Amino acid sequence: MPGGSVRTSTEAIASLGTIVGAIAVVILVGVEIAIVYAIWRYRSSRVGGIPPQITGNTRLEVIWTVLPAITLVVVFVLMIGTMNEIAAAPSSYQGAMPLVVRGHQWWWELRYPQKDGTEVVAANEIHIPVSTEIDVSLQSADVIHSFWVPQLAGKMDLIPGRDNHLRLYASRTGTYFGACAEYCGIEHAWMRLRIVVEPADRFQTWLRGQAASRAAPSGLAQKGEQVFTTALCASCHTVRGSSASGAAGPDLTHLASRTTIGAGVLPNNDASLHDWVADPQRFKPGSFMPLVPLAPDDLNAVIAYLRSLQ
Amino acid sequence: MTAVAPPIARRTALFHAPDWLRTVDHKDIGVMYITMALVFLVIGGVEALVMRWQLALPEQHVVDPALYSQLFTMHGITMIFLMAIPILVGMANFIVPLQIGARDVAFPRLNALSFWLSLLGGLLLYFSFVAGGAPDAGWFAYVPLSDRAYSIGTGLDYYALGLAVNGAGTIVGALNLVVTIALMRAPGMSVSRIPLFTWMVLVTSALILLAYPALSADLVLLLVDRYMGAHFFTPQAGGDALIWQHLFWFFGHPEVYIVILPAFGMISEVIPVFSGKPIFGYRFVAASSVAIGFLSMGVWAHHMFAVGLGNEADDFFSAASMLIAIPTGVKIFNWIATMIGGRLRFTTSMLFAVGFLTVFVFGGLTGVTLATIPLDWMVTQSYYVVAHMHYVLFGGVVFGVFAGSYYWFPKITGRLLSERLGKWHFWLVYLGFNLTFLPQHLVGIEGMPRRVWTYPASMGWGPLNFASSIGAAILAVGVAVFAVNVLLSLRSGEIAGDDPWDAWTLEWATSSPPPPGNFVQTPVVTSRRPLWDRKHPDRPDPS
Ligand code: HEC
Ligand code: HEM
Ligand SMILES: [Cu+2]
Repeated sequence: MPGGSVRTSTEAIASLGTIVGAIAVVILVGVEIAIVYAIWRYRSSRVGGIPPQITGNTRLEVIWTVLPAITLVVVFVLMIGTMNEIAAAPSSYQGAMPLVVRGHQWWWELRYPQKDGTEVVAANEIHIPVSTEIDVSLQSADVIHSFWVPQLAGKMDLIPGRDNHLRLYASRTGTYFGACAEYCGIEHAWMRLRIVVEPADRFQTWLRGQAASRAAPSGLAQKGEQVFTTALCASCHTVRGSSASGAAGPDLTHLASRTTIGAGVLPNNDASLHDWVADPQRFKPGSFMPLVPLAPDDLNAVIAYLRSLQ
Repeated sequence: MTAVAPPIARRTALFHAPDWLRTVDHKDIGVMYITMALVFLVIGGVEALVMRWQLALPEQHVVDPALYSQLFTMHGITMIFLMAIPILVGMANFIVPLQIGARDVAFPRLNALSFWLSLLGGLLLYFSFVAGGAPDAGWFAYVPLSDRAYSIGTGLDYYALGLAVNGAGTIVGALNLVVTIALMRAPGMSVSRIPLFTWMVLVTSALILLAYPALSADLVLLLVDRYMGAHFFTPQAGGDALIWQHLFWFFGHPEVYIVILPAFGMISEVIPVFSGKPIFGYRFVAASSVAIGFLSMGVWAHHMFAVGLGNEADDFFSAASMLIAIPTGVKIFNWIATMIGGRLRFTTSMLFAVGFLTVFVFGGLTGVTLATIPLDWMVTQSYYVVAHMHYVLFGGVVFGVFAGSYYWFPKITGRLLSERLGKWHFWLVYLGFNLTFLPQHLVGIEGMPRRVWTYPASMGWGPLNFASSIGAAILAVGVAVFAVNVLLSLRSGEIAGDDPWDAWTLEWATSSPPPPGNFVQTPVVTSRRPLWDRKHPDRPDPS
């Protein structure tokens, strides 16, 4: 395990935060007590006459300049320690599992580079193996976004023309929630992200599933694929194994394996998928998926098809 | 209290509205600036209330995301450029010449120009609403989002033009104030006797001259990109999206000190007067402002810790940012030391000054947490930042301005603001402010990003947001009480007299409101507290 670290970045940051927070609370309480003391002790009803006209005390002032300076040096040194641990520089964790996250207005494109040079493509729901260092490469297809999964790591921006790196490491399995954290246009709020941390074998199973082409549709789903590839859908979406190879929207080859649709705006089930395809603007006004008018039968067929994309 | 020496001014009638279009008098222009700022405070406040209404509950649909984006963008721009700057420049315009014993500012007609440019910039910005949509890329309008490829409407053109025109006014005004303070002080007012409000206005003005040109340049690049396809910011064509951020924050961080320093100045006038003691450590307080100004030019990239500049660059900007906490802390300690041993009169002005101390410390400390890079990685661009920012902008600038308003309103209008309404004003604002912004720290740490028009119910952020929205409503009532207080007191407030607070600086030596030309004879300054010397000839101020 490169880097040999056993804490998530968030755990490292949280312990720094606890120390810095404790220092801040001590200072806060001290200062507030001084203020309240001054208010109570020197209010005009307690003091008579003209108070002594003191203009300063250089010794005191030097003390309260130097003490904060020392405190800040301590904070700074602690901070450097934490930064070294998190090691935002990619060189320190070469050999980590690579993952490419590309931001789009307003969804996440995911690519898992494989040893054989191919890539496994997914969207909006990241799966990673537990207790494994991941080197996340952050890129943008359009404007600036920011990758943030508060329970696992701090933020790093996705900037067009740049390739930023973030270390991701999860010590426990489970589902974590994240979001885009840099304002990226009007639907920034619904550019949410889900990270599933699972044991290595389950992760490999998932990855193999995502790498495969779509399961050949049958029955109603077969009609659905026809509608999908002949209606506008195919110009924006890819379903590997079919003729649909658009790139403007998320890859839908394994849509049914995801928990939500629209980067978190709706749960992924028959009813909400139906509502979404019928009118995405109702749930995510401004989204770049337009309302594509479909006859009710065609719509039902498309939904059956999408649900078959396990 | 011994006998007061004869006034050095003749009486004038009570406050009357300035002759807006023709005046070049610094007091009239000051009042015009303040009026403009108060109007925009109401507009920006209404925008904030609509946002808080939308966010009160998860997944609401009070406004749509397109409008929400315009609201937070215009709210931010309004509060910074059309409220905070004008109110501070306006108060400086009115008070600074009086405090230094001058008859007017150095360039009265330039002064009028700077007001009109500032207002014109504001009108251009708001005209965008009828021209097809307001700017909606946030107050710092990052490229490429603000470039033509992603913002086709005219909103961002109005952003660039409006801010450039407004900024030109601010630059001209700052130049005027620098020259005025440098050259027009009354005889005897050496550099170490400049009243602290004037002193901090001087530092602010110098900062404006250094920082605003970077913004102007950035805006011009944006316009050229948008209209002539220059691609300064387009990586695909050899540009760089980060140029915008560097230039913007080279302006943007000094900007927050530009708005806070005059508020510090007000606090530095109000606390000593209502403590009955001179400021504790004048030299430290004055010098720390210069230190803040100087350091603030080297911290801009602390807004960019998450863009991936590398640890070395980040460390530099973190260290510089932490350094700023030192002179800021010095000020807070000196203000408290001024109160200790004094005789505190809790007028509304003093309440706001003390309220300022209690909340500003908090905002300052959360600022240090944000300068600590890994913590910033965690909470930047979340509601934690929104909370921090309002603790320093509302708790700092606006509390300071309220303290200054109760203090100087009698000088400006000849009438006192009602202390009874003032107490209501203070307590409603104090309660509402903390209820609005304290919970936002928590919801930010829990993961709620800023600038979101709504949030999923499943995240459990509802209750804290609801509390925040209730707080905003209370805050709004508090500000409404202030508005009522101003309007009532203008008409029928108690007559103030020249020196209602038993204060010490020169503005209190002339009548309220001061006559044209301010002083009948040029006052002579014998110490930092010229009026103290007149009132206590037996023991003059030692400075
Ligand atoms: C103009 C391009 C475009 C067309 C045409 C289009 N989509 Fe989309 N679609 C998108 C984009 C962009 C998104 C991502 C929306 C978002 O989350 O903001 C999307 C999202 C989706 C999603 C949710 C994917 C996920 O993982 O969250 C589904 C399902 C979907 N589209 C189905 C369809 C179907 C069915 C059609 C045809 C009826 C269609 N789309 C037509 C662009 C398009
Ligand atoms: C009346 C009380 C106020 C309330 C209830 C309020 C509320 C808000 C809200 C809800 C946001 C949007 C946060 C987001 O979506 O990220 C915001 C942003 C902001 N506010 Fe306020 N605000 C108030 C006063 C002020 C004041 C007095 C100032 C400045 C002096 C100010 C400056 C800003 C700035 C700069 C932003 C950022 C805008 C942006 O993200 O582009 N606010 N405020
Ligand atoms: Cu985004």
